[in-house]
Amino acid sequence: MDTNREDIGIAIRSALIDKGTKQKFSLFVLIILSIIFIFIETIETKPFNFFRIFLKDIIYRGSIAVSIPSKSFGNFTDYVKEHVNLYSNYSQLKKENEELKNNISKTDFLELENTQLRKLIEEQIASSSNLVSARVMLDKQSPYLNSFVINIGSNKGIKNGMAALDGKNFIGRIVDVNFFSSRVLLISDLNSKISVLIEPSAYHAILSGHGRNKPTLEYLPEKHTIQNGDKVYTSGQEGIFSPGIPIGEVIIENNFIKVLLFSDLSQITFINIIL
Amino acid sequence: MAYIYKQIKYKFFELLPVLLLFFISLSGNSIVDLKFFSINVHYILVYYWVLRKPQILGYGYIFLSGIISDVIFGFPLGINALSLLIIASVAAYIRVVTVRVTLVNDWISFIPALLFANFIYFFSLYFSNYSIDYLYLFKNSIFTFVFYPILWGIFSMMLNLSKS
Repeated sequence: MDTNREDIGIAIRSALIDKGTKQKFSLFVLIILSIIFIFIETIETKPFNFFRIFLKDIIYRGSIAVSIPSKSFGNFTDYVKEHVNLYSNYSQLKKENEELKNNISKTDFLELENTQLRKLIEEQIASSSNLVSARVMLDKQSPYLNSFVINIGSNKGIKNGMAALDGKNFIGRIVDVNFFSSRVLLISDLNSKISVLIEPSAYHAILSGHGRNKPTLEYLPEKHTIQNGDKVYTSGQEGIFSPGIPIGEVIIENNFIKVLLFSDLSQITFINIIL
Repeated sequence: MAYIYKQIKYKFFELLPVLLLFFISLSGNSIVDLKFFSINVHYILVYYWVLRKPQILGYGYIFLSGIISDVIFGFPLGINALSLLIIASVAAYIRVVTVRVTLVNDWISFIPALLFANFIYFFSLYFSNYSIDYLYLFKNSIFTFVFYPILWGIFSMMLNLSKS
C-alpha cells in the first residue's frame, strides 16, 4: 500500500514538477502562473491594466493577421455564391422593392407615432454629435460569450459601459477597453442584463440575454398586458444608457416573453458608440 | 539531398503541432462549433501531443496559447491557460504511468483529463462572475470525448510521417 502511494507520488512529481526534455518550464510553475494571472485580473491597478491592454491589443492584431486567409476564402465563396444566385436575388429584390414602396406610407405614420411616444416619455435622444463610429475588427463568436471586438478604444474616448448601436438600434455595451480596441458585449449574451421600457404599456423590465436564443423580458408585473409586437426601448433607469434607444419587439413563444431584436447581431460590420 | 529533404520534412512535422496550436487559438477556432455539436480541438491537440511527444509541444507554448484564447474569447486571462495545463498535467501523468500506446488507453484516460479541466474551467468562471451555458459546456465535453479517436488518427498519421 505504501509502495503504491509512493509510486503515485513519484509519478505526480515526475509529471508536474520535473522539467521534461526540451521543456523550459515545469507544468507546476505554469499552473501557478495561470492562477496568478486569474487573480491579477481582479486587481485594478495602473501597471496591471497597462499590461492587460497592451497584451490584448497585440493579440487582437495577431488574430486579424491569422484570420486573413480564412476571411479571404470566405469572401471568395460569398462572391461566387452571389454570382450563382444573381437571378434569384434580382427577382427577390424586385418583389421587395414593390413591397417597400407600399410600406412607405405606413412608415411615415409609424415615425409620427414614434415621435409622439418619445415626447411622451420625455426621453433624451442621443444626437449624432456624441456618436462615434467603429468597425467590427474581430467577430470570433465564442461559444460561451456573445461579443465582438471593435477597432477603437481609449484613443477615441471609449469607456466601459457605453452603449453600442447598430444604426439607431441598441445592440450591447462596452465591457473591455484597450488603447486601440474594445470589446462589445452583445445584448444576447448570458451576462447581459439591461433595464428596458415596453411601449405602449410603459412597463419596466429587465432584458436578459440567453446566449444563442432570443433575449427574454424578466421582472415584469404579475398582471401585465404585453402583446406580440410591443416595442422595447432602453429605459435609462440604470443611469448608464440614454432612454428610448430602440431594441426590438416582443414576441411571445411558449409563454416566454422574448424580444426579437431590430438588428441581426450576426450581420454587423459597423457600429456607433454613444460617448 | 535526400538527407536534407528528410531533415526539412522532420522539422516541418515537428513544428506542425505548435503552429496548429497557435493557429487555432489566434483564429478563435479552438472550439469547432458545428450545427449539432461542438468539439474542443484545443484539448485534444494538447492531450495527444503531451502524451505522445511532449518535446514537440512545450508547456510554455500551451500556456501562451491558453492566454491567447482567453483574450480572443473575452475571458479573464489565465482561465483557458489553466484548463489546458490541467489537460497537459493529466496527459503527463498518464505518460509516466503507462507503457503501451493504444487508442483505447488514451481514450479512456482522456475522461479524467476532461473532467478535471472542465471542473477548473467552471470553478474559475464561477469565481470571476462569468455566466456561461453549462449545458453547452457539457455537450461540448461529450462530443470532444466522442471525436477524440478521429483526431487521434490524424495526429498519429502526422507523427508517423515525421518518423518515416
